[in-house]
Amino acid sequence: MSKTILAVDDSGSLRQMLSFSLKAAGYGVIEAVDGQDGLNKAKQQKVDLVLTDQNMPGMDGLSLIKALRAMKNYQSVPILMLTTESGDDMKAMGRAAGANGWLVKPFDPARLTEVIKKLIG
Amino acid sequence: MLSRETPSGELMNAQVMRLLSGMSVHGDQHLAEVERDLVQMDVLLDEAIKKLCASFMAIHHAVDLQQEALNGLLADGMPAPEYAARFAALRGEINQHVGAAVTSLQFQDMTSQLIGRMVQHLTGLRNVFGALDTNGAAVSESGNEALLATLSDISERVGARCTELAGGVRSTVNQRHMESGDIELF
Repeated sequence: MSKTILAVDDSGSLRQMLSFSLKAAGYGVIEAVDGQDGLNKAKQQKVDLVLTDQNMPGMDGLSLIKALRAMKNYQSVPILMLTTESGDDMKAMGRAAGANGWLVKPFDPARLTEVIKKLIG
Repeated sequence: MLSRETPSGELMNAQVMRLLSGMSVHGDQHLAEVERDLVQMDVLLDEAIKKLCASFMAIHHAVDLQQEALNGLLADGMPAPEYAARFAALRGEINQHVGAAVTSLQFQDMTSQLIGRMVQHLTGLRNVFGALDTNGAAVSESGNEALLATLSDISERVGARCTELAGGVRSTVNQRHMESGDIELF
């Protein structure tokens, strides 16, 4: 059974590219349009990895990570930030919130799937 | 120096008020036009990227089908080794181009954030121009003191809005090219 990844991003084109790349690599993908939508979908179905943007309307990526980490069944699920932000202070905040890694946009599909494979196989 | 209650003093005050109102109205009009163009540009980029993505997906699907057909042909017969090698090389080339296209098609996410930030700055600048507006109020007295008091009020309002503008919108996009970004695992 293929592993499922929750891809959270407010940009439709970015979600489309993520979904395309991850499905081509054999993963199942659930898309969410912002942090709140991501949180709702994570509650509905346990996923194997979460990939989230930071700057989104409503709930942002850091808030989503904190909310997920507060849930029992998401304490050890890998969470990666995929964002345009590349500042050390933001990375430190991501790490403190419970992110397992930081990817700066734009992503290269081969490198992205390589990292995901390392984390969830 | 202007003296109180002279026609030239009243004229001067009226001219200053008219100048400030004019700057406020015209500045706001020009900024509103720029804002409208930026929003339209964002909409056009959004539509363009949707169409590009749809075309990209369709091309990729067609190439996949073509590849399947080729694989079938290769499996049926005994292709010359140079053709088999050529097909394998082409597959690798196509995958490379697909990867590069996926990276490039992410431009709209960044440009949209940058446009959003520009629009927020324009809104801030329009507020600054708005602070210059005296709303047609004339300075009732013709003396320098009344004019100075009005100018001081305006200056305070402009200063406050400039401060809001300076601290308002953080830059979230610093990329200057479309190469793929860094990856750091914690």
